[in-house]
Amino acid sequence: MALFPLGSNFEGDFVLQLIAIDTENTMDEVAAAAAIHSVNRRVRPRPDCIMRVRKQGATEFFPRDMKVADSGLMPTETIEIIWEKTT
Amino acid sequence: MAVLNRMDWYDLARSTNWTPNYVTEDELFPPDLSGGFGLPQEAWENYDEPYKQTYPEYVKVQREKDAGAYSVKAALERSRIFENADPGWKSVMKAHYGAIARGEYAAASAEARMMRFSKAPGMRNMSTLGCMDEIRHGQMQLYFPHEHVSKDRQMDWAFKAYDTNEWAMIAARHFFDDIMMTRDAISVSIMLTFSFETGFTNMQFLGLAADAAEAGDHTFANLISSIQTDESRHAQIGGPALKVLIENGKKEEAQKRVDVALWGAWKLFSVLTGPIMDYYTPLEHRKQSFKEFMEEWIVAQFERALTDMGLDLPWYWDIFLEDLKDTHHGMHLGSYYWRPTVWWNPAAGITPEERDWLEEKYPGWNDTWGQCWDVFIDNVVDGKMELAYPETLPMVCNMCQLPILGVPGKKWNVKDYPLEYNGRLYHFGSEVDRWCFEQDPERYAGHLSIVDRFLAGMIQPMNLEGALKYMNIAPG
Repeated sequence: MALFPLGSNFEGDFVLQLIAIDTENTMDEVAAAAAIHSVNRRVRPRPDCIMRVRKQGATEFFPRDMKVADSGLMPTETIEIIWEKTT
Repeated sequence: MAVLNRMDWYDLARSTNWTPNYVTEDELFPPDLSGGFGLPQEAWENYDEPYKQTYPEYVKVQREKDAGAYSVKAALERSRIFENADPGWKSVMKAHYGAIARGEYAAASAEARMMRFSKAPGMRNMSTLGCMDEIRHGQMQLYFPHEHVSKDRQMDWAFKAYDTNEWAMIAARHFFDDIMMTRDAISVSIMLTFSFETGFTNMQFLGLAADAAEAGDHTFANLISSIQTDESRHAQIGGPALKVLIENGKKEEAQKRVDVALWGAWKLFSVLTGPIMDYYTPLEHRKQSFKEFMEEWIVAQFERALTDMGLDLPWYWDIFLEDLKDTHHGMHLGSYYWRPTVWWNPAAGITPEERDWLEEKYPGWNDTWGQCWDVFIDNVVDGKMELAYPETLPMVCNMCQLPILGVPGKKWNVKDYPLEYNGRLYHFGSEVDRWCFEQDPERYAGHLSIVDRFLAGMIQPMNLEGALKYMNIAPG
């Protein structure tokens, strides 16, 4: 377990933000931590969607239960949090 | 006794180069400070500039300028203009004084470097006057806001800002340290006077003086006009240096300095001037949008200056033109959302009427920037103020030191431009910022952004309270 900083690039928001997460966090937990600083602040919630995480520029999302420690992400690297429709 | 006409003696009197016998030329003009670009003294003796002002003329004119500005201030001191000013206008003054006043003293040091170390006698002469200009600007822009300190403690930031680690000040210092405090004399002439002053401040001061007069603040209008007339003269120092470099086969080096400085100047303007023109200035006093102002006064003027000089437009010119409609909206939204961290009180400038104006000037504003503001406004209306303030830091660019941002909402295009260098991951707000860094990475690599400092544990406690303390922003 270790604190791990990432840059959050949240779909629909205007700025990259620093988020501090834990290497044991899953990608769903990372998305939730990122959402705290964007959703209901400058981005409207989207009940019809879940939030997925990917490396900046990647087309594939990380598996939702993948841990940060297993993702290959570097400290302060930018991740994109993207709305994905559930239906 | 008959006095010679100025033009009969000026060139001879200005020819102050000599052949050193007791030291080498490199000892007299150390290359790191002089920036001779490998050219001999003789090449620099061809440097010529258009003003050809003499010292007695300078003193006479400057005395009149000072008398004009100070007498307007004295006459209007009891007019209560400050007390009755629109809050947006007060923000303009606070942002301006904090960002500029002490920088003028720093600029005096940069001018002094050209005065002592330039191999071009004409440049040494002009920058002697330029150095005195900058001292005058520093003195005035500290003296004029001082009368307001007792009414509003944020006015103290005119003096204080430069000594703090406030994030916008880190950005301003990073830029000015790069273009004028840590460069040789010739590079200063290109990066400070040609790129920054000709391209931006000269015109910016014209616009700001007009806005001040429109807002009824004649003291500020006269102050700014007084400064602008100096700028228009000493901003001409760099052009002839570029001419010498191009004539001697050094176009590529000259071009790179122009391109790096111009981009940094643009980013600084996007955070300081953009919000002032499109959000802080009361709607009824707005003459042009920031984009219109930039296109009419900066872009056209700069394109002409570069072409006349025989230089190319910077390779990123299309990116720059595209950014004119976006970047400053993000800088405004950012400085408003993180408003506890700036030394002025940003005006939001998003009433329904102001939004109509923004949509007219920037078609699509409501579908992009407006989307973020809608959520923000709902929170304020619903009393959820805890959501209207930040709980983390924005990621900032390792070149311009400003937030990394892009267009939100329906045209979301926010992107990081990362670079791994010597094992450290750097982040940049644009392809151009990253390019600037890559031109001389060792020059910039050691600098820590405010986010780097936070992660290094230099900001304690690691929350907003600690950040405000680190930035010298006291509550209230």
